[in-house]
Amino acid sequence: MRRTLLAVLLAAWVPALASCGSGGRRVYDNNDLELVTAYTAKDACSCLFVMEREEEFCRAFVKASPAVARLTIDTEQKVVETSALLLWGARARYVDERNGCVMEP
Amino acid sequence: MIRSTLFHCLLSSRGLLALLAALLAVPGPAAAACPERAEWPTRDWPTGALPAGREQALEAFEAYAFTRVGKDEERKGVRTDGVLIVHRGRVVYERYAPGWKADKRHLGWSMTKSVTNALTALAVAHGALSVDDSICKHVKAANEAACAITVRHLLEFGSGLDWKEGYESGGGLQSSSVLAMLYGEGRGDMVRFITSHALRDAPGTSWEYSSGDTTLLAGVVGAVMRPRFGEGWEWRLLMDPVGVRSAVWERDGQGVLVGSSLMHATPRDWAKLGFLFLNDGCWEGQRLLPEGWMAVSVAVSEPLKQKRVDWDPGDVQGRQFWLNRRVPGFQDEKPWPDVPEDAYAMRGHWGQSVTIIPSRDLVVVRMADDRQSGAFNLNTFLARALPLVEGTP
Repeated sequence: MRRTLLAVLLAAWVPALASCGSGGRRVYDNNDLELVTAYTAKDACSCLFVMEREEEFCRAFVKASPAVARLTIDTEQKVVETSALLLWGARARYVDERNGCVMEP
Repeated sequence: MIRSTLFHCLLSSRGLLALLAALLAVPGPAAAACPERAEWPTRDWPTGALPAGREQALEAFEAYAFTRVGKDEERKGVRTDGVLIVHRGRVVYERYAPGWKADKRHLGWSMTKSVTNALTALAVAHGALSVDDSICKHVKAANEAACAITVRHLLEFGSGLDWKEGYESGGGLQSSSVLAMLYGEGRGDMVRFITSHALRDAPGTSWEYSSGDTTLLAGVVGAVMRPRFGEGWEWRLLMDPVGVRSAVWERDGQGVLVGSSLMHATPRDWAKLGFLFLNDGCWEGQRLLPEGWMAVSVAVSEPLKQKRVDWDPGDVQGRQFWLNRRVPGFQDEKPWPDVPEDAYAMRGHWGQSVTIIPSRDLVVVRMADDRQSGAFNLNTFLARALPLVEGTP
C-alpha cells in the first residue's frame, strides 16, 4: 500500500518538477491530484445531473488512469465530492437546469 | 390621375401585383437574403426517410459508425453514442448506441466554441459590441498587454496569448492551460486567468487553437449583453427562438459561460444550431445573426495564414469553425478529401461533431465517446454518410 502511494505521488510530482526546469512554459498552481479530483467531481456531477445518466455509467465515464480519486455522490443534494490520498479533494454541485454544475472554490 | 392609371395597370397583371406585394412585405436587403424553408424545426424536427435503394450504403455507414471493439472499459476504437442526419430540413436518419436516446443531453466539448461565435454575432447585431473593440473596453485584463487583443483576434484564435492547449496528452498535466482553466487555478475566474498570460506574439499575427481565446470571448460578450438584456439573455435571444430547449451551459465561479467547452444539449438540439448556421444565421425567415457574419465565419482565419503555433495538418479554421478548405502554402489538400469543399464543422473532444454542408443541404451530427486518439476519422465517417442522401432528385 505504502509503495503504491509513493508511486502515485511520484507520478504526480515528477512531471511537474521536470517541467519546472524546461524553461519558458508556465506551470500552473494546481498539481495533478488537484486536477484529477476536480475533473472527476465536475464531470461526474454533469454526467449525473445534466446528462442524467445512471450512476454506474457515470463512475466509468469519469474514471481516470490511474484511478486515484474516490467518488461520493449525494443524489438528494445533487453534490459530488472526490478525494485522493486524504489531502486532495474537490466538490461540484448542480445549480439549475440552465447552468448545470459548478465547482466549489 | 397618373397614380390611378398605374394602380389599374398593376391590378390587371397578377404577376406585377405579386411583385408589388413581395416588395412591400420585404423591407430591406438584409431580410431578403434569408433562405426560405417550407418548415422549420423550432418545435421539433420534421422527419423523412432515406431514399430507396440505400441498403448497402447504410450497412457500410453503420459498420463504420456503430461497430464497437474490445471490452467497454478498454475504451478502444470508434465509440459513437448517436448520429443524426438532417437532409433538406428533415431528419432522415437517427440512431443511438445503448444507453443514449433522442432526449438525452450530450456534452459538446469544443463544439461549444461555435455557439460562442453565435452569441458574439448577437452582441454585434444588437450594437453592443464591435469586432474591433479592445477586450479592455469591456473586461478587466490581469495583464495590461492583453488590452491589444480585440474581439476579432479572439474569434480567429489570434490573441497571441502564450497558451498550452491539450487535455490528457503526454507531459505534465500542470503545464496544460486548458486543464488549469477548467479544473485548476483558473476555474474561479477564467477571464482573469486567461488574461494573466503573457503575449507570445502581437495579437492578430499568429494562430493557435485556444480554449482561452474562446472563453475570454464569452466573458467579453457576457459583459456587454447581461447589463442590456439581463440574466438568461442567451436563452431569450438564441436558444428560445431556435428551439434549443435542452441547452445547459456551465459557468466559471464568476458566472462567465465556459464558452470553449461546457455546453450540453440533445443531438436534435445540436442539429438545430447546425441548421441555424446552414441557413446563414436566419431562422423562420428572420435574421438572427448579422448579414455576412456566417460568410466571414467560414472563411480561413487571417492569423492562420500568417503563423501557426502547435498546428497539425488538416487544422483549417475560420471563426470557431473547422473548415474543409485548401490554403495555399501549407494545406494543399482538403482536410476531408472525400467531402465537398464548402463543408464546415463544429467539433469537440472525444469525437463530437456537427458537420454542415450547404451545397448538399445537409447537417450531420455525431455524439461520441472516442477515447483512443486517432481511432475515428471524420473524413471516413462523412464519406460514408454522403451516399445515404446524395443523388436524390
